[in-house]
Amino acid sequence: MNLQVELLEENSVQRFKIVGEIDAFTAPKLKEKLAAVEKVVGMQAEVDLSEVGYMDSTGLGVFVGFYKAVKANEGHVKIIGVNKRLKRLFEITGLEQVMDIVMEESRDADATV
Amino acid sequence: MPQEVGKQYKELLQQYIDNRNEEDLYFGQQFSRQFIEKKIAPEDVISIHKTALAEVFPDLPEKVMYSFDFLIEMMIHYGLALREHQSLIRKQEEIQMEINVAAKVQDTLLKTKIPDFEGIDIGFITEPAKKMNGDYVYFLNDDNNVASVALADVMGKGIPAALCMSMIKFGMDSLQGENTSPRNVLDIVNRIVEKSVDDSMFISMFYGKYDARDSSFSYASAGHEPALIYRASEGGFTELDAKGLLLGVQPDVDYEERSVMLEVGDFIVMMTDGVTEVRTETGFIDEGLIKSILLEVKEESAQSIADTVYNRLLELQNFHLRDDFTIIIFKKENDLV
Amino acid sequence: MGYRSSVDIYTEWDIVAARQLGRNEAKKTGFGTVDQARITTAISELARNIYLYAGKGKIEIERFSENGLYGITIIASDEGPGIPDIRKVMEDGFSTSGGLGAGMPGVKRLMDEFKVHTESGVGTNITITKWLR
Repeated sequence: MNLQVELLEENSVQRFKIVGEIDAFTAPKLKEKLAAVEKVVGMQAEVDLSEVGYMDSTGLGVFVGFYKAVKANEGHVKIIGVNKRLKRLFEITGLEQVMDIVMEESRDADATV
Repeated sequence: MPQEVGKQYKELLQQYIDNRNEEDLYFGQQFSRQFIEKKIAPEDVISIHKTALAEVFPDLPEKVMYSFDFLIEMMIHYGLALREHQSLIRKQEEIQMEINVAAKVQDTLLKTKIPDFEGIDIGFITEPAKKMNGDYVYFLNDDNNVASVALADVMGKGIPAALCMSMIKFGMDSLQGENTSPRNVLDIVNRIVEKSVDDSMFISMFYGKYDARDSSFSYASAGHEPALIYRASEGGFTELDAKGLLLGVQPDVDYEERSVMLEVGDFIVMMTDGVTEVRTETGFIDEGLIKSILLEVKEESAQSIADTVYNRLLELQNFHLRDDFTIIIFKKENDLV
Repeated sequence: MGYRSSVDIYTEWDIVAARQLGRNEAKKTGFGTVDQARITTAISELARNIYLYAGKGKIEIERFSENGLYGITIIASDEGPGIPDIRKVMEDGFSTSGGLGAGMPGVKRLMDEFKVHTESGVGTNITITKWLR
């Protein structure tokens, strides 16, 4: 039930590194952190999920909301470090089609059969 | 009344001091219930004790008696905490009652009737994790040949999800007379949802339509868990997935529609993630587990298949559902021609 | 017509002075030890809120009799920021969960009457009363 969000700004890209589990308890905290910047016009956001062990539908809801808000302000959301399990979630939900999703380069990609 | 309590307390205290028997302590314990029944605060109990003590031992040093004033001061906050606790419990009971009523309203509102005609056997089970269900099953029975079902999963669970669901119901009700091809249904419902929900809310939905005239099952998915089809001729399962975005993310979505033909003994399994994402003490269940349960009972009726999967998975989670749980089975029966 | 006395609250020591005054007045009114402790605790909470959230303010204490009934009234006033969401502050579990002590519902429970008037940027005025039975 622990969640940390770090925000780094690199070459005008807002990079969020999320560490922990995203569920009904931690999602409000994540939502609050993302909401602080979602109104920035033309924001290039990058969300790193490589340290996220578990995410449920509430967590997905936070990203959907973030995606909608950023898109409404002509920005772009890129989600990186997605492991196999999360990748499946983004695939099933069709979010993969509308969001920019990059799979994790490490172990999970190698493990693909 | 407090004077009466004080008198009795003094007698019990005197008796205990004289004999120091377990029996007297037992009487004391029984007596202490009165304090709670009569809503006597902890600080008043100290005061009663102080008064009784002064009567039992009139010669106690004054300084010892002062210590009770200090103790009274100590107990004031305990007394407040106790009363706050009692008030919160009452409030909780009120909320509980409201939720019970709301759950009943939901049950009535979302009642759905399983289509019943020759050729197809339908069974389903839907159980909320808490009182109110965020999963929704809606059957449509256009005529005696076509049976359709919408299976929706509103993000999250409990009351917010349940509230959101009535919207789906009214969306589905408005379909009467419309073209009910799966892709069209999802397109209409998506437009309704997109306009009405909060930004971070979403709904996944699977829509399936069985036509007994040619034994075809057509389906479309709005970001929902893929369904499974059991092929009796092959003795195995295939996933039924179709591309489509969750409801409520954007207004214009092109939902892919696909269809399969059912043979006798084939069945389709539609589920929410409360079934596929079951977590036990040792982690997520293996996706093969659901298939192996289904294989065991494949010869049984659709309802019995659904019930078995539910009972087995409930047991695996120590009879505690973490998420709303819904499973629907469409099974093709013998043709009675 | 009552007799009114007051203590200005600037420092934490003034909270003690307000308590002392409250206890003396409660005793003079005729309250027993337990009720004296309740009245004092209520004063203590109000004075502490002034000290913590408004910086400075005043506790006034008045003994009175009405139709043969005796009682004590305490008025806590400050010119602080005001209470933004009074309904929330009056809810059980709000202040206690944050470890702030008895909170407003606690003060209300310790006394028989409780009135609060607050205005954003102007200040807060809380009047509490306890009757001698």
